[in-house]
Amino acid sequence: MASKLLPLIALVAAALLPLLTGSTYFHHLMVLWLLYALLALSLNIIIGYLGELTFGHAAFFGIGAYAAAILGMDYGLAGIPGILAAGLVAGLFGLVIGYVALRIVGPQFAILTLGFGSIIYTITNYWVDVTRGPMGISNIPPLTFFGGALTLESAQQYYYVALICVVAFAYACYALVHSRTGRAFIATRENPQLAASIGIDIFHMKLLGFVVATAIAGIGGALYAHYVKVITPELMGLQYMSALIIMVIVGGRGTIAGPIIGALIYVGLLELLRPLGAMRLVIFAALLIASVIFLPGGIVSLWRRYVEQPVLRKTATPQPSATVEAAE
Amino acid sequence: MEFVVFAQQVVNGLVNGMAYVLIATGLTLIFGVLRIVNFAHGEFYMLGAFFTYYVVSLAGLDYVSATIIATAVVAAVGILANRLFFWPLRREHEFTILLSSLGLALLLTNGGEVVFGADPKYVSSPFSDEIVEMGNLIVTQQRVVIFAVGVIVLIALYLFIKNSRMGKMMRATAQNPEGAALTGINIRQVHTYTFALACGLAALAGALVGPTAMIYPTVGGWAVLKGFIVVIMGGLGSIPGALVGGLALGVIESLGGGYISLGFAEAIGYAIIIIVLLWRPQGLFGTARRA
Repeated sequence: MASKLLPLIALVAAALLPLLTGSTYFHHLMVLWLLYALLALSLNIIIGYLGELTFGHAAFFGIGAYAAAILGMDYGLAGIPGILAAGLVAGLFGLVIGYVALRIVGPQFAILTLGFGSIIYTITNYWVDVTRGPMGISNIPPLTFFGGALTLESAQQYYYVALICVVAFAYACYALVHSRTGRAFIATRENPQLAASIGIDIFHMKLLGFVVATAIAGIGGALYAHYVKVITPELMGLQYMSALIIMVIVGGRGTIAGPIIGALIYVGLLELLRPLGAMRLVIFAALLIASVIFLPGGIVSLWRRYVEQPVLRKTATPQPSATVEAAE
Repeated sequence: MEFVVFAQQVVNGLVNGMAYVLIATGLTLIFGVLRIVNFAHGEFYMLGAFFTYYVVSLAGLDYVSATIIATAVVAAVGILANRLFFWPLRREHEFTILLSSLGLALLLTNGGEVVFGADPKYVSSPFSDEIVEMGNLIVTQQRVVIFAVGVIVLIALYLFIKNSRMGKMMRATAQNPEGAALTGINIRQVHTYTFALACGLAALAGALVGPTAMIYPTVGGWAVLKGFIVVIMGGLGSIPGALVGGLALGVIESLGGGYISLGFAEAIGYAIIIIVLLWRPQGLFGTARRA
């Protein structure tokens, strides 16, 4: 019962959160949190459900941001169509790259996605005619809806748009995991040979997950571009890539709450540690290592370990940490 | 004249390629023997370059001794890194180890920025200013040194792995770690030696390439990307693959930069991996698990 109520309580709390403070600074942090949460959730499909590590996810975030900015500013495709188009473009890239890269698995796949991410980063950096190179694109217009009838101005408005996206996508993930396709994902992750033997087309299953994840990352990038109004190729750099991985791993891969909490920890700690300057990234790296070594299931595994009884759960929800713990 | 330009590009490419080979050999050694993808490998390259810089500028030693000291110190750092970040996780899933190495990479890059400062530095070498002329080709002595040292080190490494007791133990571990342990091979010692060798090679590359360009704490990201391109092209775990892949990448980048565009030369390397992998997903010389 509590597990059914909890997401609702969290949703109400998230909806009321911006009303607690009038500070635009906090509103800004909250928007960043939700945008990162959306990205981390999409990355979680690949890391948590497909069981493959990708280092190229920030590139799709960047593709979405650039697509939204270029389509919106040069081709007049603003608002919801622009955002959907950005998701489509990122998803198309995901289709092509996934088609090539998913032919191999494990560490080679991780390195290959890193290579693809770097190609996209390099092209963005040097194709000055289209992307304006390392200077990036600035003065991106704000998000408009209904043909300009509603223009998003404040961080608070973006917060609610982002919240709708996160909730919708989190619900989609929940529905996916409990669907036939989702179970096929989990089967593929746990034992590819066995999954193939019962008739699951592993390659197409993985490609589907990869394309969905990259398209959502593109939508996240589009929202980010409209909100922050300045984008540079650095969005696709190693820093964002590792940030997204940290969110998913520290929060808890293979869960829905994990990446959202991971994004909150990332944004929150980064702000708290700001006075430390360059040291804060050192602390972040240490946090990642500590989480990998001591808490492989992420923060959410603490909840399972201490709040819920560690008995076998009836639901088909994937618990990678549970398998890790069982193996120990 | 046209041919001279072409030959010059090829020579430059071979020299750059030899640096890639040194980086990639360590990466492929760690994967081949221990099945570890070390994301932090480039950071040892960075440390090698910075330690050389500090030994020259602070201790006032000459460049050659500085290179040797830096290589030895970084090899020791590699042993320490293995003890702290890799050895305790040896029974965990490969992603756990990969993520741990990513954490180590971030730790060393950002730690390097705190300790060394973010501004670029220049390693001075007595070989940088001297020029060697071979017919119409012009190469700095430093680049000749890179190539020569690379060749000598690779031959030494080949003989070590082929003939020495430890080399045989490493090959046995690469084939079957459990079988190797059963025959009495000390796996812990194999881990230590492999990391010392691989990190030392990366540091040597850093110390050699340092004088040809500026060094900065984030250079490790560049180094590990090049290393990954090479090992993916040649096949993860294959030393001949690293040699062929590294030299090929250097030459292709150099020709691409010379005849097409300097900017896209960077992307060409990645484009090659895609073509190679479409044809042979396991790399030119490697074996990979397929989906």
